[in-house]
Amino acid sequence: MVAVLEVVDVRKSFGGVRAVNGVSLTLERGRIYGLIGPNGSGKTTLFNCITGVERCDAGRIRLFGEPIERLPPYRIAQRGVGRTFQMIRVFPELTALENLLVVTTGPHDAAQARARELLSFVKLEGLADEYAGNLSYGQQKLVEFVRMLMRDPSLVLLDEPAAGVNRTLLGELLDAVRRLRDAGKTVLLVEHDMKVVMGLCETVFVLDHGEKIAEGPPGVIQADEQVIEAYFGR
Amino acid sequence: MKRLFPAALMLAIVALAVYPVFATGYGVRATLQVFMWIALAGSWNVISGLTGYVSFGHVAFFGAGAYTGGILMASAGWPWPTAALAGGLAATILALVIGGPCLRLKGPYFAIAMLGLNEVLRALVSYFERLTGGGNGLSMPTLDATIPIYYAMGLTAVAVTVTARLIIGSRFGLRLMTIREDEMAAEAMGIPTFQHKLLAFLISAIGPGIAGALTARDQGYIEPLSVFPLATTITMIVMVLFGGKGTVWGPVLGAAVLFVAQEMVWARYPYIHPLLFGAIIVGVVLAMPRGVLGLFQTKYRLPRTI
Amino acid sequence: MNVVITPAMVGQVIISGILSGALYAMVALGLALIFGVMRIINVAHGPLLMLGAYTTYFLATRLHVNPYVTVPISMAVLFALGLLLERTLVFRVIDAPELSSLLLTFGISIALVNGAQLAFTSDLRSVEYLVGSWVVGPFAFSKSRVVAFLFAAALTAAAFLFLTYTRTGKAIRATSQSRDVAMVCGIDVGAVHRLTFGIASALAAAGGALIAVIVAIQPEMGQMWTFKSFLVIVLGGAGNYPGAFVGGMLLGLVEQLASLFLTTQLSEVVAYVLLVIVLLVRPTGLLGGRQT
Repeated sequence: MVAVLEVVDVRKSFGGVRAVNGVSLTLERGRIYGLIGPNGSGKTTLFNCITGVERCDAGRIRLFGEPIERLPPYRIAQRGVGRTFQMIRVFPELTALENLLVVTTGPHDAAQARARELLSFVKLEGLADEYAGNLSYGQQKLVEFVRMLMRDPSLVLLDEPAAGVNRTLLGELLDAVRRLRDAGKTVLLVEHDMKVVMGLCETVFVLDHGEKIAEGPPGVIQADEQVIEAYFGR
Repeated sequence: MKRLFPAALMLAIVALAVYPVFATGYGVRATLQVFMWIALAGSWNVISGLTGYVSFGHVAFFGAGAYTGGILMASAGWPWPTAALAGGLAATILALVIGGPCLRLKGPYFAIAMLGLNEVLRALVSYFERLTGGGNGLSMPTLDATIPIYYAMGLTAVAVTVTARLIIGSRFGLRLMTIREDEMAAEAMGIPTFQHKLLAFLISAIGPGIAGALTARDQGYIEPLSVFPLATTITMIVMVLFGGKGTVWGPVLGAAVLFVAQEMVWARYPYIHPLLFGAIIVGVVLAMPRGVLGLFQTKYRLPRTI
Repeated sequence: MNVVITPAMVGQVIISGILSGALYAMVALGLALIFGVMRIINVAHGPLLMLGAYTTYFLATRLHVNPYVTVPISMAVLFALGLLLERTLVFRVIDAPELSSLLLTFGISIALVNGAQLAFTSDLRSVEYLVGSWVVGPFAFSKSRVVAFLFAAALTAAAFLFLTYTRTGKAIRATSQSRDVAMVCGIDVGAVHRLTFGIASALAAAGGALIAVIVAIQPEMGQMWTFKSFLVIVLGGAGNYPGAFVGGMLLGLVEQLASLFLTTQLSEVVAYVLLVIVLLVRPTGLLGGRQT
C-alpha cells in the first residue's frame, strides 16, 4: 500500500539559515497527523516545500509514489493536495460562492451545486453572495476551509487551523477534520494549541531547528524529554 | 431598470449605426475616435483591470498593428479590412513574444518590463528604416474610407466590449481576478496562473492591433511618434481607472466621458492636458480606486457584469 | 559591418562602462531604497532626476553658479520635494495593493514631466562647462564623465556608509527587512519612509545634476532612467543594496560593449533584452535578493 506522502531527507536553507535540515516523514491514508515545534523550527517551510511554494534544496517528496518536489504549486494542488494558510487568504473581492467556484473547472452547474453544498456544510449558505472581504474572521476561516475541499483533495494540509478561532467554531472545525479522516483523507496540521493536537492527532511529528526530534502518538510525545527541552529549554 | 438597459443599448447601437448618414465629417471622425478609445481601454481592462498586471506599454500593440497594416497596405497593396486583421494578428504575436517571458514574473517586475517596451519598439522602427520608413513615416495611397472605417472601428469596439462581458461573467474571468487578489493563494488552489495571464494578455492585444491598422488607414500616414506615444497608454489607463477597472462598461464610460471632455475643454489648453491626466490618475487612485462604476457597484450592490 | 576591434577599443569601452556604471548605480540605489523600505515601485524616479538636472541648469546658466557646486543644491531641493511627495501622496498607498502605488507614482510622473514641459518647454538644454577629454595613451576620458564618476562614486560610498554605520541608516535597513519588527523596536516607521523617499530623490537629483553637464536635457529624459534603474535593481537583486552597485556597473559595461557592435539606437534594445533574460533566468537577481 503506497503511502500518501513520503518526505525523504528534505533540506531548505535561506541564506545561511537552515530552515529544514534533513526531515523525513511518511503519511498513511486515513489518519490525522500533527506537526509541532517551537517558533522557527521549520514547520511552515516544510509545508511550503510540500506544496511547491518553496523549492527544496535537497531531498525527495513523493505523493502516492510520484515525485512532486520539482512541480509548480498549481500542479501539486491539481494532484490532490489541499492547503489552508496561517493568515487567512480568501479572495476578498469575490463572494464566498465565487471563492469556491473559482477553484474548479468542470461544468458550471455541478460546480455551483457542490459549492453551495460545501457552504451549507459549514452553515454559510446564507452568505454565499457576500463579498468574502466583508465576512468575519471566523467566517472567512470557514470559507477558506471549504474552498480547499472543492477539489476533493486526498491530502489536506492545515496551517494553524485553531488560530484566532472561538471555542464553538473550533469544535465544528475539528469535527469536520475528523469527518475528513473518516472519509479516507489524510490530514497534516501545524498547530500551536497543544490541546487541539493532543485531542485530534493520531501521530505527532516534532520539529526543532529544522530537524525532526520525535515522532509518535500524542501521549508518548508529551512525555518525551527532548520535546520538553525544545519547548521549555533546559 | 434591468429591462430598460438592453432596450436603451439597442437604441444606442441603432443610433450610432445610422449616425453617419446625417452627421458632419467632424462628427463621424470624432465618434470614430471614441470607438477607438473604447477598443483600447476595453482591451487594457482585460489584462490590467482583471489580473492587476499593469501593462504600461500597451500602446506597443496599437503601433505594431498600425505598422503591420500600414506596410501591408502601402507595399503589398492589401485591402484595408484584411490588413486590419493582420494588424490584430501581429499584435497578438508580439504579445506572445513579450508575454511569454515577462508574465512569468510577478506583477511589479512585469510592469517594469512593459515600461521599457514602448521605447524599444520605437527604436526598432527607426532601425528598420527601409521597411518602415523610419522617422520619415509611412504613407499610403489616398483613399476616402472614413465611413467604412467608422463601422469597422465601431465593430471592433463592440467586439472588445462583448469579449469583456463574456470574460467577466465567466469563471475564467473570476480566475483572472484571483490573480489580482492573491496570486499565491490562487496557485495553491490549483489555478495555472501563468496560462491565464498569458491568455488574457493575448486577448488584450487584438483590439489595439486592429484599431492601430484601421487608424493607419484612416490617417493615411503613420510615423513612430504618432503610433507609439506614451500619451496613448496614459489615456487608456486614465479612461479605465476613471470609468471603473474590472467592470464591463467602465472603460466605455471612461472613454466616452474623457474623450468628450478632452475635445470640448482641454483641446483648448493642449499644454496642460497630460498634467490634468496625471492629476486625475492620482485623484482616482487615492479617492476612487474602483472608478465611477466600481463605486456604484459597491454602493448599490450591482452585479459584477456591469 | 566591417569594423576592426582593437584591444584599445575594448579597453576604452570598459573604461566608459565603468564611468557610466557608477552613475547608474547611484541613481538605482535611490530606487532600490524606496523599493526595499516601502515596497513601492517609484515610476516617478526618472522625472525626479530630470528636475535635478533642470535645477542645475538654471542655477548654472541664470545665476552662473559652478555646475558642480549645484550638485548639493539640487540634492537638497529634490530631497525636500521627495519629502513633500511622500508626506502628501505616497504614504497613502504604502499598504495598498501594488497596483495602486504603481499607478500613483505613474500619475505623479506624468504630472511632473508635463509640468516641466510647461515650465521649461521641450527644447533641449545643456550646460556647457567641462568640455573635451583627457587623453592618456590610447584612451580618451571625457572630462565631464570622469567628474561625474567621481561624484557618483563618492555619493554612493557615502550612502553605503550612512546605511551601515549611522543609527538612522540602520533604522532604514531594519525597516526594509521587516516593518513590523522595526515598529516594535520603537522605530518611527513613518519618518523612515519620508526620509527614504527624500534620500532617494536626492540621489536621483545628483544624477540629474551631473548628467546636465554631459548631455542635453529635456523633460522626457527621465523615463529611460526609470527603466534603467529598475534594470540595475533586477540585475543586482531587489532589496539588495550592494547589488545596485554591481548591477549599475554591469549595465554600464554591457551597454558600452554593445555599442561596439551595434548602433546606439539598438543599445536600448540591448538593455531591454538583458532585463528580460535576467528576469527569466534568475528572477532574484544576480546577487540574489528578495522576491516580492
